[in-house]
Amino acid sequence: MTNFVQSILFGLTIGGILYIISIGLSLTFGAMGIVNFAHGLIYAVGAYAVYTVATLLGAGFIAGALAALAVSIPLSYAIERFVIRKLYGQSIDYAIIATYAILLIGADSLKWIYGASPLPIIDPIGRLWTFGSLAMPVFRLVIIGLSVLIFFGLSLFFKKTLVGKIVVAGLQDREAVRSLGIRVERHFAIVFVLGSALAALGGVLYAPLSTLNPYMGFEILILCFAVVIVGGMGNLTGTAVAAYSLGLVHSLTAAYIASSAADAMVYVVMAAVLVFRPIEA
Amino acid sequence: MFGKVEKYPALTLVFVAAIFLVYGYATSLPKITDFMIFCIFVVAFDLLYGHMGQLSFGHMLYLGAGAYGCSMFAYHIHPDPFLSILAGLVVGALLAALLGLVVVKTSQAAFALLNLALNEVGAYLVLSPWHKWTGGEDGLSLFFSSYGFINFKDSAFRFYFCLGSLLLVVYLVLRLVRSPYGNLLRAIKENEVRVEFLGYNTYLYKYITFIISGTIAALAGALTSINLSYCNTSLIAPTRNVEVIFAALMGGAGSLIGAVLGGTAFMTISNYLAVYLIRWEMFLGFALLIFVFWIRKGIWGYVRKV
Repeated sequence: MTNFVQSILFGLTIGGILYIISIGLSLTFGAMGIVNFAHGLIYAVGAYAVYTVATLLGAGFIAGALAALAVSIPLSYAIERFVIRKLYGQSIDYAIIATYAILLIGADSLKWIYGASPLPIIDPIGRLWTFGSLAMPVFRLVIIGLSVLIFFGLSLFFKKTLVGKIVVAGLQDREAVRSLGIRVERHFAIVFVLGSALAALGGVLYAPLSTLNPYMGFEILILCFAVVIVGGMGNLTGTAVAAYSLGLVHSLTAAYIASSAADAMVYVVMAAVLVFRPIEA
Repeated sequence: MFGKVEKYPALTLVFVAAIFLVYGYATSLPKITDFMIFCIFVVAFDLLYGHMGQLSFGHMLYLGAGAYGCSMFAYHIHPDPFLSILAGLVVGALLAALLGLVVVKTSQAAFALLNLALNEVGAYLVLSPWHKWTGGEDGLSLFFSSYGFINFKDSAFRFYFCLGSLLLVVYLVLRLVRSPYGNLLRAIKENEVRVEFLGYNTYLYKYITFIISGTIAALAGALTSINLSYCNTSLIAPTRNVEVIFAALMGGAGSLIGAVLGGTAFMTISNYLAVYLIRWEMFLGFALLIFVFWIRKGIWGYVRKV
């Protein structure tokens, strides 16, 4: 029983991180029809930024998280401005290839700077919450709480603010919004940077649970694509539900079948969803 | 002048054979054997991407299926090279037929990502649950029996065998894309809905093409494992998909000679340049961006006009 509860909590942790990373991916995918592999790079950059500031410089985890945002926001803006914006409305293959190229360049740069060997980050809180025989790192609980906060925050953002409303309307019918004289692309660019900042935050949060390597962006990205496809592209609530569900699938598979099978199981769910509810992207 | 080459099948074959014979004897036969096998893989990929208009981000799965089908047959059942290749082809074709049922229903981004996800699952299966049969991370070392001059331990024989395979593949695919079937494929690439309205079952055509492409990729995999006489997980690694995409793009998508040129160019760069270039992946990334933004027609797209 303890095992089961522990797996559920671990699943919610992974689900929360997947949600934080996937939301940006889902919006770009749903709004502009662009499969953005560079999103994985931003996630990795976030993780490496926190490693640099918190571990190498010893300035603490919060400072590291702020540094991650400070690096990822201009970087993602540059990617949007110089690559992705040029690919709007073109064949989706070019966007896939171009953003993959950016991921490749970024991963190689990280390898250049930090080396290829995996780097660990120490749990910033480092305390366990115990309840009977259940022991849970407090940091994981913080992640779950933070992801829920972000979910409600984003819901408010899309319901209450003008930018949010324009983006939601643009997701439904981009042409109609544009014909009102609103520059939809510019609003999407704002949300793109917001989504990227969240991806960097995902990297910051995931780093202490795992180790860093230059190709970590590619590894998480396929899981996030699974979330986006299962949740429905550009579907905000769907993304959240899919992220937590796939997180649970991941951790329950790891606990009860085999830890190496966890990723594969997520892809199987994704394939099953595509069979029964095929999407046209 | 060059544009005429691809108009005549015989000329195309001579052109391709000439490239590799000159290249092979000018450098080293074993290396160029590798190049030719990769070109077979690029042709398989380009049949989907260039001719049918669907970008697969997981074609390494079918290369891996061919490689593992071939090597596992040779390792566990019988080391006959031809039966092993056949086993690889059968495994690749069956896998493509099975997964194609699902994959072909999707298109565009979903197609790319679903292929990638299936490739990940395949790589996981080979690495972990089936490691007793596939050798896991260590892979399999292979020995093939020889009959007289048919000796796969001889690098010259491997060279000519792979050259023959490449020419056969180029010829068959050339016949395929020149036929009414090929016209239909191009029509599907342009506008699938219209072709459907004309009364064609587009799903069936795409499905058959997917199986053909998977089988050719499996041939490339089987030949790779025979050429290297081992088989390991790098032959099914999802991260290597970018290589074939880059090669197809570099040569010029939608043309057989383009695929062969792109494959040769990619292998030349990765074999000779990567030795001197420490930041090889960065170079590849920038080159990809250049091809996507400025040289979309690829090398062959420009050369054929000359």
